[in-house]
Amino acid sequence: MSDGVATSLENPLRAGLRLWRTPEPCIMVIFGASGDLTSRKLVPALYNLARERRLPGGFSVVGFARRDWDDAAFRQILLEAVNANSRTRPVEQALWASFAEGIFYHRASFDDPAGYARLAERLAAIDAARDTGGNRVFYLATPPEAYPEIIARLGDHGLNRSPGDGWTRIIIEKPFGRDLESARDLNRQVLAVFDERQVYRIDHYLGKETVQNLLVFRFANGIFEPIWNRRYVDHVQITVAESLGVEDRGGYYDRAGALRDMIQNHLTQLLTLTAMEPPVAYDADAVRDEKVKVLRAIRPIAPAEAERFTVRGQYGPGSVSGRLMRGYREERGVAPDSQTETYVALKLFVENWRWAGVPFYLRSGKALPRRVSEIAIQFRSVPTLLFADTPVNEIEPNVLAIRIQPDEGITLKFSSKVPGQAQIRPVTMDFRYGTSFGVASPEAYERLLLDCMLGDSTLFTRRDEVEASWALLTPILEGWAAGPPQNFPNYEAGAWGPAAADAFIARDGRAWRRL
Amino acid sequence: MNTLPFVDSATIESELQRLWQETAETSASGEAVTRALTLNLIARATDPAMAERISAVARDLVASHPNRTLLAICRPEETPPRIEAWVQANCLLSAPGVPQVCGEQISIDARGPVTAQIASLILALLAPDLPVVLWLPGPAPFDDPLLPRLLGVIDRLIIDSRDLTDPARDLKRMAVFDRDPGTPVGASRRVALSDLGWAALTPWRELTAQFFDTRPLLPHLRRLDQVEIGYVPAGERLNPVPGLLITGWLAACLDWTPLEDAVSIEGATLRLHLRRPAVGVGPRAIRLVTIIITPVGGATPGLASLRLRALDGVTADFHVQRTDDQGHVLTSAEVAGHPPVRRLTRCVEPSLAELVAAELRLLSRDAMFSAALQRAAIFAARLSYLEEPAGR
Repeated sequence: MSDGVATSLENPLRAGLRLWRTPEPCIMVIFGASGDLTSRKLVPALYNLARERRLPGGFSVVGFARRDWDDAAFRQILLEAVNANSRTRPVEQALWASFAEGIFYHRASFDDPAGYARLAERLAAIDAARDTGGNRVFYLATPPEAYPEIIARLGDHGLNRSPGDGWTRIIIEKPFGRDLESARDLNRQVLAVFDERQVYRIDHYLGKETVQNLLVFRFANGIFEPIWNRRYVDHVQITVAESLGVEDRGGYYDRAGALRDMIQNHLTQLLTLTAMEPPVAYDADAVRDEKVKVLRAIRPIAPAEAERFTVRGQYGPGSVSGRLMRGYREERGVAPDSQTETYVALKLFVENWRWAGVPFYLRSGKALPRRVSEIAIQFRSVPTLLFADTPVNEIEPNVLAIRIQPDEGITLKFSSKVPGQAQIRPVTMDFRYGTSFGVASPEAYERLLLDCMLGDSTLFTRRDEVEASWALLTPILEGWAAGPPQNFPNYEAGAWGPAAADAFIARDGRAWRRL
Repeated sequence: MNTLPFVDSATIESELQRLWQETAETSASGEAVTRALTLNLIARATDPAMAERISAVARDLVASHPNRTLLAICRPEETPPRIEAWVQANCLLSAPGVPQVCGEQISIDARGPVTAQIASLILALLAPDLPVVLWLPGPAPFDDPLLPRLLGVIDRLIIDSRDLTDPARDLKRMAVFDRDPGTPVGASRRVALSDLGWAALTPWRELTAQFFDTRPLLPHLRRLDQVEIGYVPAGERLNPVPGLLITGWLAACLDWTPLEDAVSIEGATLRLHLRRPAVGVGPRAIRLVTIIITPVGGATPGLASLRLRALDGVTADFHVQRTDDQGHVLTSAEVAGHPPVRRLTRCVEPSLAELVAAELRLLSRDAMFSAALQRAAIFAARLSYLEEPAGR
């Protein structure tokens, strides 16, 4: 069974409540094993899964990279990485020793065919020694330029199909392309070697509990869906704010910018989950069908309209949380006259029966005052002010805010009378994951790695989804490129973006939420 | 925390209201205090030590299930007769800037004949429109006079089979209650039974089930011949209930049925013989599974080892065993024709609060528990027959 579909053979001991399904033993081959993602996210996530009994015995990791390391050196480096980055620390020695028995290092360069031939032999040997049954996950954690080479070589060496009746899947990190054409190209290259059902395009935002809860919140509660439409909703604001600058990713970021780095993936995901219709089932294709329909319903923005529907910014020197921060153009790897946006705000319309006329404002930026991500549904105001004698000019509209980070939860703002006074005040009803459910939320990568091993692609991006999102944003990139250079930098590090962004939303008689 | 001068439900309610008002005004961090209730937890204690254990659990539960705890300390034998009550907020320590979430607790201490009144007081103090859970720790939950009085309002009864003094008798009573709780006519719901002893077995069931998520190993599950269960008794008392429940679980999942009289006791070791569906040798062939339940030494009471083996033909051996008292277990799968697969993982014995929280998470009956319990009760009944002195 090489198509990546989960097995239908039932384990009778799994019947009933409480027990999680664990994946079959498999080997995860990480390309780019010496990189940051491997040590910061992937291996800590795998260690925690092993620690919490979510991985089967025999599970193995093969790191594929160029550095001159061996198994022992790689294990030691990963041990230090897990000790530094795991949500459970320090590492328990006995557990690590057992987990590390399944960690191997494969030294080769991505473009060396002999390296893949040796990899195939190595995987067969691990299958034989650790009973992993030919099941493989290839994880592309490399710079995106290396994807085509790796994918083609995997195909050349027959590594796209498993021996015996095992399965093979591939996880591809973002960015998936840098515009519509390159995304289509990459899809063509991937699908020349793998079937779509084997392909898991990862966006770690979908692994976050609150993001998944968005669907539960909408479709498991009877009271929200009737008001989740143009009749009751005034507008929607989706914010993903980062307080950090570009750090050591200047070289990559200067070629990407906020639209490619954040909007195309994370914010688009949040938008589609907020706006989608109820899927016919909670399964990979039904959910993704609805998300794609949202993307197709969004009114396209032509290149000539790009400036009207978007605002760009780039941070200059300033201070964030009391710490001085360099301007973007002073960062390593960034051109001194860079025109790359580190902030972007845009207004989109989902033109379907549910949402026609309701603007969706999206904003994301770096070097903003704090790290916060949320979706805010602002409802229409009451039609008239009944309480004219109260010392207020207007009653604040109800807002339902779904916070994704840092503290995940849901808040509903409504008006209430102040006891003993003729005053009306907004108050909030708060639901917090951290306090309502005592268990710590697993890291997004833990959930997604496990889903992939279990063969569930619901929380991964499908081919048409990624292309629809690029189809929407590529004309904006073209419009920006055709226009005059921007007067960057136009906001201070530590400010909520450029003044133009405030004017942009104020033109519609609205304001950004203060976060 | 004030002891109330006069105990009735209205006094207690107004005392609670005063408590929340004070809490809001004097919140130490200056942050908002959020009172949150997701359920009513009625817990009965028979002495102050048990009451303290329950209070500690109630405090821990705020993190996952903020609730109104109604702690009833029932001491009918003590004199002089009196009834006292006090209220307190159970708050979660929160980080600066984060609102504090609190549940509330009403404790009622009754001595002498007035203990009989405690159920009526509890009924008047339940927070409306929330699930009601009754927790009866201790060895004889089904003899507790609170149970019949509250049966009409509770959604769930929590007991702990690890506390049972007479497993054969009590497992049977659990099974009877589970089949038919005797809910009064007109009650809107059927009471679900929860057993903390069963909840403590979840990690063991999980680790065992994991072996067979591997497709090539799955067929061996149907050809097991022997199950060996080792447990560390709590104190002096032998209580094979965890072993019987695990056996009941395997029997329910794998269609094993008990054979008449096929039970033996050798010292502290129990042997059960079950019939399993035959695999590949014709439908009428009888295949037996032998279950061996043995007490073993160790510092942490509970299961210590669970081993499933197929001895006939291709040998297969699946073993989960504790390796230390720090919560580590070694799992190993040794199957002819496959490389042996071993791994060390974590399986810390859950705390009392974690076990209660796990049961509170359930919103319906745990059908697998029912199936395992019904079978375990049959095995226990066979044991009690053996245990009876000769000539009776």
